[in-house]
Amino acid sequence: MLRYFARRLGQAAIIVAIVAAITFLLIHLAPGDPFSAILDNPNVSEKVRLTLRAQYGLDRPFAEQFFRYVNALAHGELGWSFSHDQPVSEVLATALPNTLLLMSVALVGSFVLGIFVALVQVARRGTFTDQALSGITLFFFSMPDFWLGLLALLAFTYWLPIFPVGGTVDPVMHEFLGFGARIMDRLRHLALPSLTLILLASASVARFQRAALLDVLPADYIRTARLKGLTERQILRRHVLRNALLPIITLIGLSFPALLTGAFFIEKIFAWQGMGYAVVNAIGSRDYQLVVGGVIIGSIMVTVGSLLADLLYAWADPRLRGH
Amino acid sequence: MAAVRYTSVLCALLVCGCGGESGRSAGGTVAIAAGSDPGTFIPALAQTTTAAEILDMVYDRLADIGDSLNIVGDHGFTPRLADRWTWSRDSLSIAFHLNPNAKWHDGQPVRSSDVRFTIATTKDSSLAAPTASVITNIDSVSTPDSATAVFWFHARSPQQFYDAVFQNPIIPEHVWKDVAPASWRASEQAKNPIGSGRYRFVRWIPSVAVELAADTANYRGAPRIRRLIWSIAPDFNTLLTRFLGGEIDVFENLRPENVAAVQKQHLGVKLNPYLSYSFMTFNLRNPANHDRPHPLFGNRDLRRALTMAVDRPAIVRAAFDTLALPALGPTVRAYPSTDPKIPQIPYDLAAARKLLDSLGWRVSGRDSIRVRNDRPLRFSISVPATSALRIKLAVLIQEQLRQAGVQVDVEQLTLPAIIDKAGKHTFDAIIGQWNTQPSPGGVRGSWGIASSRANGNNWGSYESPTFDAYVDSAVNSFDAGRQRQYFTKAYETINNDAPAIWLAEPRQIFGYHSRLQLAPMRADAWWAHLPDWSIPADKRIGRDSIPPTAAATTAPAESAGKKTR
Repeated sequence: MLRYFARRLGQAAIIVAIVAAITFLLIHLAPGDPFSAILDNPNVSEKVRLTLRAQYGLDRPFAEQFFRYVNALAHGELGWSFSHDQPVSEVLATALPNTLLLMSVALVGSFVLGIFVALVQVARRGTFTDQALSGITLFFFSMPDFWLGLLALLAFTYWLPIFPVGGTVDPVMHEFLGFGARIMDRLRHLALPSLTLILLASASVARFQRAALLDVLPADYIRTARLKGLTERQILRRHVLRNALLPIITLIGLSFPALLTGAFFIEKIFAWQGMGYAVVNAIGSRDYQLVVGGVIIGSIMVTVGSLLADLLYAWADPRLRGH
Repeated sequence: MAAVRYTSVLCALLVCGCGGESGRSAGGTVAIAAGSDPGTFIPALAQTTTAAEILDMVYDRLADIGDSLNIVGDHGFTPRLADRWTWSRDSLSIAFHLNPNAKWHDGQPVRSSDVRFTIATTKDSSLAAPTASVITNIDSVSTPDSATAVFWFHARSPQQFYDAVFQNPIIPEHVWKDVAPASWRASEQAKNPIGSGRYRFVRWIPSVAVELAADTANYRGAPRIRRLIWSIAPDFNTLLTRFLGGEIDVFENLRPENVAAVQKQHLGVKLNPYLSYSFMTFNLRNPANHDRPHPLFGNRDLRRALTMAVDRPAIVRAAFDTLALPALGPTVRAYPSTDPKIPQIPYDLAAARKLLDSLGWRVSGRDSIRVRNDRPLRFSISVPATSALRIKLAVLIQEQLRQAGVQVDVEQLTLPAIIDKAGKHTFDAIIGQWNTQPSPGGVRGSWGIASSRANGNNWGSYESPTFDAYVDSAVNSFDAGRQRQYFTKAYETINNDAPAIWLAEPRQIFGYHSRLQLAPMRADAWWAHLPDWSIPADKRIGRDSIPPTAAATTAPAESAGKKTR
């Protein structure tokens, strides 16, 4: 088990390094540089631009910039964010908790909702309810995340203004609210982005889980349970669901990258100040080191998520422990 | 602690409810839309509008420009840190006498050494301050005593007073002296500014908000609005929805299509003159080889014919309705030196067709596109994909030039890609917009020869010694009338050469919450008189009742530049 764990960690490190190198190359290939915005000002002289580029090492050849960055990374430094005028580690340390909060709520919410919908569908398989829920889950499954986000924004902040437009808290009032009111303020800001992610992710969970439940239904032990006189609800809860939950662990591992990338767009749409918000804005402003830093942290999260799912799977399924 | 704060809010509500005369005149919060983080709080390095708005509240200049935006001599300038000034007999030096009551927000007095330090560090090349290039006429600052700062100039110049005061908000030497200028951006001081302006810095939560509180003991008097908040979101629609929903009080740059929705919500809309003009610049040099002229736009007559084929007033009407005027040239009407009757190339489609025919560009066969030596008259206009307005302008130009037999391709790119193309001169035409400063002499940076040859912002590489000479004469003229005449000649020269099609001079569409009582707005900075705004006590809403002292006292406990919660 330890050897397996070490091998997977080694693979994860290689993947993160390759992703970081590709991102570094791609963002440098994009036209413009972090001082493009300064270029768009008739009062800034060429001398100032050259000085700024030299100060940040952007006048050096690409290979030198890359090796300098790798060297800094080896010393635990993620570099300097030009757009925030802060170390990248500080920017990401501020943003990461917000992303983790959004993703955790979305992950838990989508699995609870998805499994519940699948159970209802299987309990009423072949009925109108089953077909209607299939249609609804297909609708959300095929809907682009940014589109649903924009619709939610329009519907619940403009037509029916019950939620705030964006951000993680009310920047004007939050500091002056009491403890309970602060929590409510944060929850109100969390509602729309997390609901959007939950609706999108729960659709795939429901479809996946419905298929898994239907696979278990014809099994001999289910027939035995019926013969024992258990009710359909008891059979579903005690026997079918428990045995159909194993593939869900795989789905958690697969959902992690999907949720993270989805969260990038959703954070941008709802101005949720997480990692995705910081990285998407950094791409626009060509904040090279913040983009690469964000991608490194993101890929670490994805590889660790997958690794945990694999370990969880091995732990949950006794047949796999020997392998 | 949270309970204490909450209680203090309630107390403030009660105080406001039974406030006397002073309670009615001062108080309230103004939440302002900000499209970006300020970046840095160092005045010499600030690049964003958000930073300019905040820094003008936190820092003071020696004197401030008047609402007429006169930059010749000191006419119209109003005292700030300097309560008076004296010109030397030869005008090569100006002695500024500091207001003895002026203090930094940390309680230290403002001294003349602070002024000397500000100028010396701005000129320090390791700081890479964009303003360094516009204060080159300042030789040095001497300090005969702690209350007098004497500016010494290399040469007498009509705008030497403007150069001395406008570009240089004064910073405290005791805060910055131990930090090398090259390290200023990364310093803690840059995130926690200490100024002498009418508002003091409270906190910055990156990507969320910046908060300032009124400096009630300020030497210029306490501002009426007690708290300012910049609510940050890079997305335009997010900010607009916040404004329409009442979360934000001020939206400085609404788009023409937003006006109806804003008025429907009973919010105020005000049109201001604005120091901005949009244009479509032609690249006069070959994109593949900068040493050669552009195969199309190297020809002055062709540029004139294209300009003649574009009905600019119709385009401006279609894109902006009544919210902009056709641009007069590389200038704006708000400058006192701009003559609104500058001669223009008139719209005349028949004459444009005739001129194109005479240049050998003829319509042949079934194709309606003109051809010369088997080469079609075709070029591309690059526009930022994020600007719906510029895309609209490009499409309108495309359609109008089609009627003259010219094929135009509209190329939508990201803003960094556009700027990259502009800097490398690898484009045919670009639709751009310059936001200018109060000095019309800035036109040299965008259309002058030096800027073209130093790879500056003269993207199209327009070079005219005549234009430059007229601008130089205007900038060096002490007589306002003569200055206007020279600028008119300069604009006439460039208009005749047609290096660009001057499109629109938009007016600023300023949205505001109807409870705000605004002061007059300056064309270069709507926020210049923000400390004089007020909110009547009977119109105040929840956020107006937060006590400023509560906001100010949180400052030391917060770690500036870091998310606090």
